Amino acid sequence: MNTQALGVEHYLAGMRAALDDLPANEVAEIMEDVEAHVAELTTELGEDETLERRLGSPEQYARELRQAAGYPPKTERLPVTTKQSWLSRPRAAAWGLVVATGVTLLAGAAALREPAVLLLPGVILVLSLALVHDRGPVQQEIMNLPETHRLKKWLTPEEGTPAERAITYLKSLQPAWWLVRAGLLGLGAVLLAGRDILGFLAIAAIAVVSVFAGPRAKVDRRWLWFSLPASALAVGLLFQVIDVTAGQLGYNASRSSYQPPIVESYENIYAYDENGKLLTNVLLYDQDGSPINAPRSYNGCNMPGNGPEPVIPANRYPRPQVDYENGVCYTVTPSVTAPSSTSSTPSSVPASSGSTTSSSVPPTSVSPSK
Amino acid sequence: MDTSQLLKGVLDLAVLAVLRKDDGYGYDVVRRLRAGGLDEVGDASVYGTLRRLYNAGMLTSYVVPSEEGPHRKYYSINETGRARLAESRETWRSFASTLDGLLEEVAA
Repeated sequence: MNTQALGVEHYLAGMRAALDDLPANEVAEIMEDVEAHVAELTTELGEDETLERRLGSPEQYARELRQAAGYPPKTERLPVTTKQSWLSRPRAAAWGLVVATGVTLLAGAAALREPAVLLLPGVILVLSLALVHDRGPVQQEIMNLPETHRLKKWLTPEEGTPAERAITYLKSLQPAWWLVRAGLLGLGAVLLAGRDILGFLAIAAIAVVSVFAGPRAKVDRRWLWFSLPASALAVGLLFQVIDVTAGQLGYNASRSSYQPPIVESYENIYAYDENGKLLTNVLLYDQDGSPINAPRSYNGCNMPGNGPEPVIPANRYPRPQVDYENGVCYTVTPSVTAPSSTSSTPSSVPASSGSTTSSSVPPTSVSPSK
Repeated sequence: MDTSQLLKGVLDLAVLAVLRKDDGYGYDVVRRLRAGGLDEVGDASVYGTLRRLYNAGMLTSYVVPSEEGPHRKYYSINETGRARLAESRETWRSFASTLDGLLEEVAA
């Protein structure tokens, strides 16, 4: 029984090798049939019978099956690829698809800002697909390109290796990705909805079609010209959404942790009434009733002959200035025109104060001259 | 005369005919063809023909899990396949009667 099981595995491996130039999904379908066939035949085999005697060699079986199925004979492949010049229609189309997918990834990352950038990969895709659309769903010529073979070899590692298991697992996630992709595209469309109606419609249409494109691309390779760039666009949009979100989070984080210093760019405050008259002895408070204090600490100035000036509340404006030379405090009007409707120009003429009888009166006060 | 050469041209028709009533998996179709008298039909040819008819959109397939051994993939004929079967049957009949006529003349 063991030797028979080995014989089956050997036979199936031979079949796979003889079919390995066909599209992978087609080979999978064939092998599904053949595995069941060989398994059933094995149970019917007599003591001295072998699969080979019953069916012929795996190569013969494969040749007969290819002929009946209308696949090209295996030997056809090599001359085709070696005869081709380096620039052929299939090659241009294949690389067009690769380039367009790459450009879509970049464009997708900018699509929310400027949806029109999607036109560039769109044009490349249409051109490259136009080159090979009439070559049928299997796109055999592209599959026969040496670079495609290299890619396929790379994507189908030997069975049982971790790489093979990883790829098999990723392949099993494909239908889920199709849904995620449609979701991301839909999100992109929604984010565009208010700003760019054409971009919204285009991306929404791509989102809807992408749901069908995934499974279709498995049987008709021409859908790859839609499915691959749609994936790239979804990933690009994801990057952009992450970028924007991270930017906002970073902004919020910096705002909550970092208290910007209250910039005190003013030295003094002058309040005028509606007639353009400078108000003096104005006390300023904020909404909590806390005094709005002058930015600079203020030491009471000595009035000539009157000793130390009583403490002036720090929220009383305008602040007096100290003439250190004479040790006199006086109010200085702003040097610029008062923002009132009157034509009066406050002058900055200082006047020394003589009225020091009342402690509540500021040491000096000068009205803007009319 | 080698019937395998004759069979090549009409295997499509034969396979569609045996699937007309009941769906079948590959080896099932092989058995039905042999039971119907096509003893020389090759297993691989039948499997290849099933794939070709499937890819041409005349058959659909579904997988039935099997308790022992691999799953079985059943093929069933669809409307396109039935239309092709009807059309091919007419072609075959007129061809066969033409050939019969020719052979009668030779015999006469």
